[in-house]
Amino acid sequence: MAEPFRSGRKGLEVRLSDAERELLTSLFTQLDTLLDDGRPVSDDPFEELAALSGLAGLGEGIADAGDATAPAESPPAPEDPAIARLFPEANRDDPDAAAEFRRLTETGLRARKRAAARSAAEVLSREGPVLLDEGQAQSLLKSLTDLRLVLGERLGLKTDDDATRLGAMLMVGIEPYEGWQPLAVTYELLQHIQESLVQALMSKRR
Amino acid sequence: MVSVAPVEVERPASDEVVVPDVPWVTIVWNDPVNLMSYVTYVFQTYFGYDSAKAEKLMLDVHEKGRAVVSNGSREEMERDTEAMHEYGLWATFRKDD
Repeated sequence: MAEPFRSGRKGLEVRLSDAERELLTSLFTQLDTLLDDGRPVSDDPFEELAALSGLAGLGEGIADAGDATAPAESPPAPEDPAIARLFPEANRDDPDAAAEFRRLTETGLRARKRAAARSAAEVLSREGPVLLDEGQAQSLLKSLTDLRLVLGERLGLKTDDDATRLGAMLMVGIEPYEGWQPLAVTYELLQHIQESLVQALMSKRR
Repeated sequence: MVSVAPVEVERPASDEVVVPDVPWVTIVWNDPVNLMSYVTYVFQTYFGYDSAKAEKLMLDVHEKGRAVVSNGSREEMERDTEAMHEYGLWATFRKDD
């Protein structure tokens, strides 16, 4: 498999296969939707992806997320644990401080995360070879993280050991429940892709 | 790191007492998803730490479960915590004691 990203003379080249770009575009679009209304994804991730890949421009026309004024009251922590992980409790000692932080920051964070997901989906869905500029690379990097965090929650990853075990289970073909495998495979693929992007960005810094 | 931020006046809940700002810290916690390389990259990019310091902090997070990554006023730590959340890291802020 070709290295997914390469920092070349012309810039940061995307060398994902068409199938990978299609998958990622679907996932980023799904993430944007997930961040919009907080509804949990269906139990079958492929079903969700298949449904989404047929819907063009799902990420467009959603209410302008640029208005990030803080709500008057602190929103409760998101119910969906996967989304809650994207907006974790910011103060472990002082619930009031944590609530205040959430009130002041969650709206803006949510808007920026959605913007990053939309940017990532847009860039990867372009025809032909893609060169990322700095902003696009950063959006992709952050949104890949958000995506992996969501998948990690869905997969029930709590410890470093859980993450290691996942790879081992895939290798020997253990499937703890139906539908686990596509999620786990996707998770591993995203990890590989993100590692490549980080390395490409690091090599640019030197 | 010394904070040269001006003394903050806390908005009084009930009293009209002026409370000086105490040093606060931002902590990053280990999580099973984030790549070591990514965490190091974030510490370099956002805080401007050199690669040696960034890597040391990342290893502290990884091996000890958490690390103090910055210190300063409460406002500054809230800003750093928010930035860490934007990068998907699990961060909290608290008073330094």
